[in-house]
This record gives sequence, C-alpha cells and structure tokens, in this order.
Amino acid sequence: MNERMERSGILKPDGILPPPDSGQVCGMYQNRNGKPVPSQSAAIPPVFKKNGVKPPIKRDQALLKDSLYIVRRNGIHHIISENYYYKTEPYYTILRLELEGKQVEPGSSSVLDAYLIPLCLERAASAGIPSCEWGISQVYVPLPAILYGLNYFSTTLDYFVITDNEKAKEVVRHITNNGKYPFCYQKYPEGSEIHTCTAIFGRTIGACTAVADYAQKIYGLFRIPLVQLVFIKTGTTYTLSSLSPTRYAQLSDGERALLCAYLTNQDFL
Amino acid sequence: MSRLGIFVDRKTLSNSEQLNALIRCRDVAEELGHDVDFIFPVDINKIRRMDALFIRARTDPMNITYVAARMAEFHGIPVIDDPESIQICSDKINMYSHLKKKHVSIPETVFLSKHDLTVEHVAHLFDDLGSPLVVKEPSTSFSLRVEKVHDVAEFFKVARRFIKMSDWIVVQQFIESRYDWRVGVLDGKLLYACKYTIPSVTFKIQASVNGHLVYCGVESVPPERVPPGIIQLGTDAGNAIGKGLYGVDIKNNNGDACVIEVNDNPSLESGEDTQYPLVYEKIVSYLFAK
Repeated sequence: MNERMERSGILKPDGILPPPDSGQVCGMYQNRNGKPVPSQSAAIPPVFKKNGVKPPIKRDQALLKDSLYIVRRNGIHHIISENYYYKTEPYYTILRLELEGKQVEPGSSSVLDAYLIPLCLERAASAGIPSCEWGISQVYVPLPAILYGLNYFSTTLDYFVITDNEKAKEVVRHITNNGKYPFCYQKYPEGSEIHTCTAIFGRTIGACTAVADYAQKIYGLFRIPLVQLVFIKTGTTYTLSSLSPTRYAQLSDGERALLCAYLTNQDFL
Repeated sequence: MSRLGIFVDRKTLSNSEQLNALIRCRDVAEELGHDVDFIFPVDINKIRRMDALFIRARTDPMNITYVAARMAEFHGIPVIDDPESIQICSDKINMYSHLKKKHVSIPETVFLSKHDLTVEHVAHLFDDLGSPLVVKEPSTSFSLRVEKVHDVAEFFKVARRFIKMSDWIVVQQFIESRYDWRVGVLDGKLLYACKYTIPSVTFKIQASVNGHLVYCGVESVPPERVPPGIIQLGTDAGNAIGKGLYGVDIKNNNGDACVIEVNDNPSLESGEDTQYPLVYEKIVSYLFAK
C-alpha cells in the first residue's frame, strides 16, 4: 500500500489535497520490476488553492458526494469525508498514513470506536459526556428503547425507536438477521425525542450551549472532522446515543461555509 | 483467585470439537488455579470484572468480539485477541501492509482500489503476476471470498462482487501447494505447528464443492520435524502483527517459503496442538503474566 501512495505525490505541505472525483488516494501501483503502472485516477486536477484567502469553492464544484479531502496543519493530516466506514476509501487513506508513520486524524481505531455504539458510549461517558445506558441482546429488549444493529452490515444511521412489542419483534428480527447477530439497545424515556446535530471539527451551527460543548468534547475524543451527533433529548437534558456519518448534501448553508473555511485554511484548526 | 473470561458466541459452540476445545481450555485454567466464566455477547458487561479475557469467537472489527476486546482494553484487562490484532488480521489490506513493512516474505501482492478496476489495469496484473491470480476480499476468513481467476473476464466477475463489500481488494500471485504450514505463535514465539493438507478438489483450506463443504486435513507436527526456516518465518510474521496469539499460514513451494496470511483467533479444535500438550497452559499463563 505504501508504494502506491508515495507515488501519488499530490499532498502539499500545509495544504489541501484536492478532492478527486474518484478519491485522491488512488495513485499507482508498481509491477514486480518496480515499473509504475498508471492509474486512471492518478491525475487529479487541483480544485483548492494552497493557503487561499478566498474560498474558491463553488457549491457545484466542491463538497461533492463521496469526495475526500486531506488538510495538513502543523504536521497533522486531517481526513475529511462524509463517512469513515471500515474498508472504505477514507478508512484506507487513514490506514495508509498511519502505516507511513504520519500523524493522522481521525485514527483508524478511533473511527471504529465511533461507529460501534457500545465503544462510542463508553469512551464518551468516561470523558464526562452524558451517554445513554446500553445493553446487548439477541431477543429481549426492555421498552421503550432505541435499537441499533451490531454486525457487519449495520450502520449507526439505521436506528429504531421502539415503543411496542409487536414492532420490537419485527425490528429485532431485521437487525439481528433472524437472530444471527446481537444488537445494542438503549433506554428511551417516555416523552423523549431524538435530537441530531452536525459537528464540524467540533463546532456546531445554531446548537444550544450544552450540545455545542458536547460536540467539542466528542471532537476531542474521536477527532472526526465531520460527524452527526445523535442525542436523546428528555426535557432539557441531552444524552448521547450515537455518532453517525453525514452527507455533504445534508449540511446547512452555514455548515457548508464552516467546512469550506476549514478546507481553504481560513479557519485554523 | 484470578478470573478468566472466555468470550464465546453461539457459533463457537456449533460443533463438538469446538465445545471440547473450550472445555479443555477451562480445565487447564482451573488446574492453574483460576476461576473461569464463559461470557456470551449479552453478558459483555461482565468483562470488567475479569482479570483476563480469551476470545474464542469469530473476530472482526465490525462485530461484538471487537467490542469485547476494546472493553477489556479500556479496563486494563489483558486480552487475546487484542483489538489491534483483530483490526490488522481481519483486514488483508492491513495485514499484508504490516507484513510488507517488516519485509516478511509474501506472494507478490497488489491492492486494487475500486477506481483502478479497468481492463488495462487488470491486464497489466496478469502480465506482471502471471495466471492464474488469486483475488481476495479483505475480510475473508476460512477461505471465503477467495477466488482463483484465469483471465480478465473472470477477474471482473469476481472483483465486481468483492468490491461491493470493500473499496479495496487484494490481488495475489497464485502459489500452488499440496499443504500449508500453520505455525501457531504466541508472544512472538512458536506455540505449535501443523500441516493443513489442501483437498485435491480445491486450492483452499475449506471450500464448498458441489454443495458439500470440504475441509483440509490437519496433522500436528512436532517442532523437530518442522523446517527451522518455516518456524522463523512464522514467528517473524507474528511479530510483524503484534505480541498476541496468531496462526500463520505458510506455503513452502520448492523451498521458497512465503506467508499466505496471519490469523488472529486461530483454530485449536481440529488437532492442531496434538503434539503440543501445553498450548492452553501457555496461553492462560501468558494472559495472567501480562
């Protein structure tokens, strides 16, 4: 993997790796004689100016679906992507940089923790962030509850708020693949509601003080530049339920502007 | 008295060999003076009350075993398999990268991104690595999602299936052999060695042939009958991953030995350790010495 990446040679010092239409890390590999074999995606036109003052990003040309950015500040490579799922291009980009001995955020272990609910909540709770109590089950679940799958095919985007037994049976059958896998449940107090919020390098737009504070702490823990925080809101109390990926297309104008400011070096990390 | 947790799931208990192996492990730990608890996924919160954890279930960073390993780590509890070993060994891109980094001999290997899947690219691969090629989805285990392909068309048929599960896949030179060495490594040292004899109807250690599962033969081999180069390569490969428990698969074709893969959570229920009666004692002692 290392040799592939070294050959891409696109990363600029303290600059931004341009967002490829196909993922910037796809460079070249070498054949057994060390001869480089070109990749179709090796030549990637730069979109961002290095240390640009004006954001050269127009809505239609940047923050494209599935695009991935690397921002380097103070020797740290920040990987910005809509998701960081295991075995995806962003995950392998992180892994490649780690194997090269570079400082990279988020780390590969961090993204695994973030998307595995029990680990995410254990880490969050230990950092003083109010987090939902959780349990693992394969059949039974005390209601009302919020349910997440815990297997190779599940994502934190798919959660189910369950209040009755009939629905519970159906959902449990679905998320356990007919009892094959365990699942994670959390208590969902009566009168609660789900509250989501997007955090960009730990910053939020329009969130209340408590949520904004949690977002910063969560960034401090996992170092994920773009993430959706899912809380259970009971009265005025927020408890963390999960972290999940978010699409660029789902960002508000303010959130897009904030992310673009980071990408164009206007906002310092 | 120290408490050993053995993390299992329903699948671990799906046949008598696995169950017997677990009972053997429990008996050994008890003879060494430890209490033993079997821990199922629903009991995961018990992990924090253990003094050591031994995971005996199929590991993957996306399943409950990884949660168990990380939970143990959070609470400072020694664990086999440790989370890092699970993360590395469950993903062949990660695993081969570690082996390459430490210059451990492996077959010629290329990682292919979904963006590199072009006819030109693939034709180059056949030119460079020869035919047939072996295509692997990175999180394959028990030879699942490992296919031998002979031409570009066959390659694409397989690769398109695998790329749905991973943005990168592994392409490898095919190395023929009648058997694989399996070198068990614990803490960087030889734990056991055996031969996996490949069934003549397949090139994998386990395969479905005409709807029937075909398993490899297992022959435990005492250390004095294992070529020293194989032991050295096995321990080098284990050390390239970490200090845990690994099963290193090695092909020794015409004296050119190379590592095919390093497995965390290696099988111990099929007679791999027949010639090594102290395997469980060493594992349990290692965990409590950490």
